[in-house]
Amino acid sequence: MNIRWYHLALWAAFIIGMIYLPQLVSKGTLRTIIFANYLAIFAISWDVLSGRTGYVSFGHPFLIGLGAYTTAILTKRFGVPVEISIPAAVLVTMVGGSLLFLPALRVRGSYFALVTLAFMELMYQLVQVIRPDLTGGTRGMSGIQTLTRGAVNGYYLSFGLMASLGFAMWLLMKTRLGTALSAIGMNEEAVRGSGLNTTKLKLAAFMLSAFVAGLGGAFYVHYLGSIAPRALFDINFVFTIIVAAILGGASTIIGPIFGAFFLTFLLEYLRPYLPGAERYFIYGGIALLLYMYEPKGLHHVLQMALSAIKGKSRS
Amino acid sequence: MLQILIQGLLLSGLYALIAVGFTLIFSIGRVLNLAYGAYLMIGGYSYFYFSQILGLPKIAGVAIAALIGVATGLLIYRLVVKTLKGDSVAIEIATLILAVVLQAGVVLLFGDASKILLPIIPGVVRVSGAAVTYNVLVATVASWVILISLYLFVRRTHMGRAMQAVSMDMKGAAISGIDPDRVNTVTWGISGALGAVAGVFFASYTQLYPGMWVSPLIIAVAVVIVGGIGSIIGTLIVAHIIGYMEVIVTSAVAPELRGVVTMVLIIGVLVLRPKGLFGREEL
Repeated sequence: MNIRWYHLALWAAFIIGMIYLPQLVSKGTLRTIIFANYLAIFAISWDVLSGRTGYVSFGHPFLIGLGAYTTAILTKRFGVPVEISIPAAVLVTMVGGSLLFLPALRVRGSYFALVTLAFMELMYQLVQVIRPDLTGGTRGMSGIQTLTRGAVNGYYLSFGLMASLGFAMWLLMKTRLGTALSAIGMNEEAVRGSGLNTTKLKLAAFMLSAFVAGLGGAFYVHYLGSIAPRALFDINFVFTIIVAAILGGASTIIGPIFGAFFLTFLLEYLRPYLPGAERYFIYGGIALLLYMYEPKGLHHVLQMALSAIKGKSRS
Repeated sequence: MLQILIQGLLLSGLYALIAVGFTLIFSIGRVLNLAYGAYLMIGGYSYFYFSQILGLPKIAGVAIAALIGVATGLLIYRLVVKTLKGDSVAIEIATLILAVVLQAGVVLLFGDASKILLPIIPGVVRVSGAAVTYNVLVATVASWVILISLYLFVRRTHMGRAMQAVSMDMKGAAISGIDPDRVNTVTWGISGALGAVAGVFFASYTQLYPGMWVSPLIIAVAVVIVGGIGSIIGTLIVAHIIGYMEVIVTSAVAPELRGVVTMVLIIGVLVLRPKGLFGREEL
């Protein structure tokens, strides 16, 4: 366990700062931050799987959607209380995660990414066809029970969820499990050669990722109160998650969180100048350049800058 | 029955044309170019702009679309693929981001609304009860002509043989005096042209809208995965398997399920036979 006191101090400062935030900013900004929190959860989920092990998932909305649809259907169509439906949603998502795990036994690298993309498209089409009376078909569902009222409560809920998931994943990734997962990303054969069971390790990564995605998806749908297949199983949504994770810095926890906030606010501040899809042009361009020339993300850039400043002050 | 046969043949021809450019890059450059779908989008929109807004002759529109496709392919190869130096996962992520950027660029230029392409050749012919528009017929004939000439190019010309050599063994080809970089450049150019022309036909088959690149990309991916590392003949066979499956499901089961079989096929083949149905073949 490679934890220093300043790691914990930084987490504490981050959490305290975020708790005081609602007193400082407007309701509108708070709603933006709520979205950033959920995006951060999804990015963390993506990163635990893809950032570490190198099994790039292009179908993360498949997992998120499983969680979101399960709890939405259970609460809206069967009147199940959320205390039961959300854990059920997480369970279903983890089952979905093990489905996604099957191809990872056989293929890796670029093929794996494609099969996850196929999973997402399959889900998109099945949701509209199978039992549209339950899923709401193409139009999706609305009027799903919301957990909180008002921006402030929604903010605290989403931030609490994001911070606790982020912190838990951060602790977990500091253990030998995290190290082993990163090692798989570097060289899977070598990890197997050193006597570790890579199948079990990969399964753990998939389960963790599915757990976070399911929980995030379930709470997200109870925040939005509605769900629509085209918005969810969309390649632009995949793009947003991946870009948030790699922009901030893959295979860190703070990176995806930072990336999600950066991305959401960039989008929000571009809105007055470029309404609509044109914003993707700007931030996609930024993301592409950054990914190609600084694949470790903004997290790494900041660290370099920090150590440069430290180095200067010493000399 | 005859209708299924004809419909399947027409659809499969289009699918083969869509997939072949993607297969070409995958078998020679060993990278999956997820921006491939964007070539189709760019091709469709260039054709729309030059022939329908500027009013150039249709054949000139197709030619310009192909040229723009070549330029796009070369730019992506020079700026993205070479910079990332063959890291296949990084290329995949970068080209996916690029595709979304290009889509946003198209929205910027042409707006979000979908456009209808006028048929390349108007008119309908009835073949034993099945209505076949000349437009689709032209697309199919053109696909076959393009595929056959591509096959001859790869088999007969010096450049084509060099491409085969690089796809078999890049180091070996380099030792025998072939410049792999040049071969790759040519391949990316050809792939861009194929994608753009396929885009013109695909857009006139469905419609022109900024998100149109996703479904042909998935078809191309399906063909590559199901067929294994691509030969042109293999691409043709798998395109027909997928095309016919879709037509049969549409008419016999339910139209909404047409995409589902393709997805199930991709997942099934990848889990059961990761090398594809035909495995490694010559180009």
